[in-house]
Amino acid sequence: MQLEYFLLLAAALFCIGIYGLITSRNAVRVLMSIELMLNAVNLNLVGFSNYLDPENIRGQVFTVFVITVAAAEAAVGLAIVLAIYRNRNTIDMEQFNLLKW
Amino acid sequence: MDFSSSVASQLHAGTILPEGIVIITLMTILVGDLIFGRSSSRWLPYVAMFGLFNSIVALFFQWNNPNAIAFLGSFSGDNLSIVFRGIVVLSAMVTIPMSIRYIQQSGTSLAEFIAIMLTATTGGMFLCGANELTMVFISLEMLSISSYLMTGYMKRDPRSNEAALKYLLIGAASSAIFLYGMSLLYGLSGGETNLNIIATKITAINGTQSLGLAISLVFIIAGIAFKISAVPFHQWTPDVYEGSPTPVVAFLSVGSKAAGFALAIRLLVTAFGSMTEQWHFIFTALAILSMVLGNVVALAQTSIKRMLAYSSIAQAGFVMIGLIAGTDNGYSSMIFYLFIYLFMNLGAFTCIILFSLRTGTDQISEYAGLYQKDPLLTLCLSICLLSLGGIPPMAGFFGKIYLFWAGWQAGLYGLVLLGLITSVISIYYYIRVVKMMVVKEPQEMSESVKNYPAINWKLAGMRPLQASLIFATVVTSLAGILSNPLFTLSANSVNSTPILRSAIITQEITQSTIQVSSVEDLIN
Amino acid sequence: MNLAEGVQIVSFGILAVMMIGTALGVVLLPKIVHSAFLLAGVFISISGLYILLNADFVAAAQILVYVGAVNVLILFAIMLVNKQEDYVELPGRTIRKVATGVVCFGLFALLGTMVLATPWSLSTTSPSVVDNTVIALGEHFFSDYLLPFELASVLLLMAMVGAIILARRDLIPESMADENTVTTGLTLPERPRELARLGSEEQDS
Repeated sequence: MQLEYFLLLAAALFCIGIYGLITSRNAVRVLMSIELMLNAVNLNLVGFSNYLDPENIRGQVFTVFVITVAAAEAAVGLAIVLAIYRNRNTIDMEQFNLLKW
Repeated sequence: MDFSSSVASQLHAGTILPEGIVIITLMTILVGDLIFGRSSSRWLPYVAMFGLFNSIVALFFQWNNPNAIAFLGSFSGDNLSIVFRGIVVLSAMVTIPMSIRYIQQSGTSLAEFIAIMLTATTGGMFLCGANELTMVFISLEMLSISSYLMTGYMKRDPRSNEAALKYLLIGAASSAIFLYGMSLLYGLSGGETNLNIIATKITAINGTQSLGLAISLVFIIAGIAFKISAVPFHQWTPDVYEGSPTPVVAFLSVGSKAAGFALAIRLLVTAFGSMTEQWHFIFTALAILSMVLGNVVALAQTSIKRMLAYSSIAQAGFVMIGLIAGTDNGYSSMIFYLFIYLFMNLGAFTCIILFSLRTGTDQISEYAGLYQKDPLLTLCLSICLLSLGGIPPMAGFFGKIYLFWAGWQAGLYGLVLLGLITSVISIYYYIRVVKMMVVKEPQEMSESVKNYPAINWKLAGMRPLQASLIFATVVTSLAGILSNPLFTLSANSVNSTPILRSAIITQEITQSTIQVSSVEDLIN
Repeated sequence: MNLAEGVQIVSFGILAVMMIGTALGVVLLPKIVHSAFLLAGVFISISGLYILLNADFVAAAQILVYVGAVNVLILFAIMLVNKQEDYVELPGRTIRKVATGVVCFGLFALLGTMVLATPWSLSTTSPSVVDNTVIALGEHFFSDYLLPFELASVLLLMAMVGAIILARRDLIPESMADENTVTTGLTLPERPRELARLGSEEQDS
């Protein structure tokens, strides 16, 4: 088993996340894409931690922090999605044009 | 591991006393709101301001702290971080009095708003001193998440929701990209998270040329540029500025931006010290784009909040000149300008809040003829806008001159010339608002100004607004002439910060070796 | 190749295919509910990869937090905003999707080159030097990562408070006893742009 396999896998997941981020029209799906990107980062960190830093496993510590923050971010994001759904009755990203881009 | 003997003695927990005070204030406000209910909103803002003031006092006593590196290297309380933490706290302290009336008038709960703002302040303060990747990430997210919450605070307003959603999605995406860059940094340094150790290890392992290092640099700069809203990463700024409650905009444009610059200095100078040329190049591009686009697009805006959004993008471009210069004067001119920018920008936002509270609009055309109805507001807004534009007797002029001078000394002639040209353009749109207010005849007055309510400072929450308005204006008009203490402060903080010292010395060495080699070439 | 290594490679292959497949499903499937369930698949396969990387605690945390909390939260959000939306097809969206796909593939190629070209400074110690990761992580949390650990508590508190503020259903406060206080009912005091424009047009005519 080699480090590079895991890194390539993480890079693929990251790029899929970016694709979803840009093309999705549903706000909830955009949030899911962001979770994919964060998971790619976690995979990177745990991979590095196992192959480069096995004594201190700092990467795993970092991953636990990322998981914590990702959960908080998801909660806040979904609260905002709920608030906007209540006012606009839609979660289509293309409809959010009150403010000019 | 025996915690009390081995770890506790090395923590130097006193270094984070200022942040501790802010967190205690935050808890007091949350608990006070729970116990006393809505009636507590009468005194809670003053508790918050008192806490922030104490935090500034604590920061003052931290100057030249001998145990600057605290928490086993996670936090660095050196003088550079103290100055930036001061800017963040000060911006929150000036923002709170101007938000009291605004938030109450919108019918939302004031205590919760202040609690979220104090969390953002804490996050910003820790970000200024974060010396470790985990710490950078957690404090950055603390600042960002509370900013999203504040942006969406007017939850029945679709504009506020939309701004919050856009801010959250773009912000979370950029922090994921930033995080990917940090994970590469962790891997390239062979498993280190402390910035200083990364800096030494990364050159030992990779040399100075490495594709991985370049990608990590680009990803990290993307994250930082989002925070300071530099141009290709600025799309969120105008929307968020227009859709959020105005006090939040004031805080974002000063406190959050200052924290972003502190992060930029620390991360780039230490961890990417070996790639100075590359990041100077990227930042030059960002600065050029920000100055040009920010100033040109600001000309076309009809809403004053959007105009100030583009103006803040342009101002970030000016500040980046100091960062690119990379000299003592460059860094201290950044700090000096951020201090002045704090007062003039917050002053301008206070005036906008006051006007929108009285008339319910933020369109520039509605300001026509304001001079006849409210001379004080006109005077203050004019002073702040002229100072932002850099008209001579105001503080903004001296800040800009110092920045440009530092850039010129460092040989950034093109950048400084572009800065001069774009600041001439910027004067046009600032003057436009001033002209609109002052020069119009009584019959040209806009509808809102005709129906201008009687000025009554006795309404609940108006006194603090007035106090912060006058404070910001007085500082803006006097700081230029009495700038010496500020000037010494920023110069001292740069001179006594170890990370900048070593960075500047290595740069000078490389420059002198280049000179020596060119001289040798000439001789041969 | 001994048996253990063979098992590792086979399980890596299965997990990798599963992860990429489900991740593609998350971004490509038309129905959002399917995406949400596939997201759980992504999280579970990543947790399996963590076990291959000797990170047992993180693998458990991944399942507990991501599958148990985040994914359930997302499902609840989908149920709360469950309006069937027929998106109006906008012209040029297909081109945009293809362009984005090409850009993302280019980014993947770049990152892949970087991963393969960089000489990672592999550690010579065996990965099993830490026999109990929970103890090792705990020691880190209470020594050199103490400050971020404590700070995360403030962050979580405020995220919780803030999410409740934004998601709860508020009554528009009745105008208070004071005559002079006008409340705008939880909206910005500034009028929206369209209304402002209408106001000025009326005044022109």
